Amino acid sequence: MAKFHPELDLLTEHAAGNLPLAQAACVSVHMNYCDQCKRTSGQLQNLGAALFDNLHGEPVGDALLNSVLARLDDAPPLSYASASEWAAGRTPAILQRLMSGDLTDLVWKKITSTLRISYLKTGDPNFEFALYHIKAGGRIPEHTHRGSEMTLVLEGGFSDADGSYHQGDFLLRQPSDVHAPTAVQSEDCICLAVLDAPLKFTGWKYRWMNPFLQLNTG
Amino acid sequence: MVDIPEGTRAGPQEVVGRRTDEWSECLTLIAANQDRAAFTRFFRHFAPLIKAFALAGSSLSASVADELVQEVMIKVWQKAGGFNPEKAAASTWVYTIARNCRTDMFRRLQKFDTPLAEDDVFPEQESEEPFALLQGRRTQERVRELMATLPADQMQILAKVYMEGKSHAEAAAELDLPLGTVKSRVRLAIQKLQLQIDR
Repeated sequence: MAKFHPELDLLTEHAAGNLPLAQAACVSVHMNYCDQCKRTSGQLQNLGAALFDNLHGEPVGDALLNSVLARLDDAPPLSYASASEWAAGRTPAILQRLMSGDLTDLVWKKITSTLRISYLKTGDPNFEFALYHIKAGGRIPEHTHRGSEMTLVLEGGFSDADGSYHQGDFLLRQPSDVHAPTAVQSEDCICLAVLDAPLKFTGWKYRWMNPFLQLNTG
Repeated sequence: MVDIPEGTRAGPQEVVGRRTDEWSECLTLIAANQDRAAFTRFFRHFAPLIKAFALAGSSLSASVADELVQEVMIKVWQKAGGFNPEKAAASTWVYTIARNCRTDMFRRLQKFDTPLAEDDVFPEQESEEPFALLQGRRTQERVRELMATLPADQMQILAKVYMEGKSHAEAAAELDLPLGTVKSRVRLAIQKLQLQIDR
């Protein structure tokens, strides 16, 4: 079970439907692994519903009602056989949709000897949504962030100076947080990372790459 | 034998303990019989709320708001079979549909090219344990009661975030408040509404 969670503020914005698509998708993937946040999200949606109930209604004419009634024949009821795609532990449905397949079908781009990245297309023009594959024991060169970075561990785990993170753990880094994540020794680590600005390497060995780092949005 | 006039037979004791508010019943009728009369009653109550929700924050035009009302009500018709009166109040269920449709509409208007719909971001949850169900229902009722006791400054922020669809940062900018103040008002409101949040 996940130990690192989104803050309440972020869950509230998520429940209200206000997060940018790429970030909303990342928070939803966390909930695939975290019953606690799923329950909290349910509560926060109850709050939204109570506010909705309190609205002063805007007048709606019969013409609109009639045009909806006229369209009902072309809108057959949906069937509800199963809703098991939310089952914990499996590759979350939302990721399967974005990958159009499974983790094994992805195209990876080699960045260093231990790091490969696969960019997924969410359609969000402001955020990069990518999977990072870090080899067991491999290290991502020390870097800082020019913007915010959400990270979610999908498989394996990694650690940095602040702690160690495992399946389902969610992290939000702010600009200027410096870290050098290292994958656990026992297995490869796959994480989801959502960025709104490129990383910035701080060590001398990789600093030359900074001008070439671009955000792969969309 | 006492002759009870038609229409008054359901005493209050029969209502207690059941979740048979008018709107849940409408949804059940729609699901079971594709009942258009029930749908019409449901429409007359909820369409004005959906329209108000569409116009909150005034970023959608009146004609787009009408389009959203149609879209949400057609989803209500199609999805009524998935409504579980044990689990949610009808208005909670409608709210989540309206929220998802509005978000999808914003993205369409901004010409997002995405494989995702907002229903993917909020998938139908698996049926929960009976205890969790009861808690969920109690929460929904309590939140509605306690909402009337919230101070105006907290209500204002909640309305901006949930109804107008503003981020905390946007709400702070509009009200000329520090971001920290907006966040703390949201937290205070959540405490006051006794939402069970373990963190």
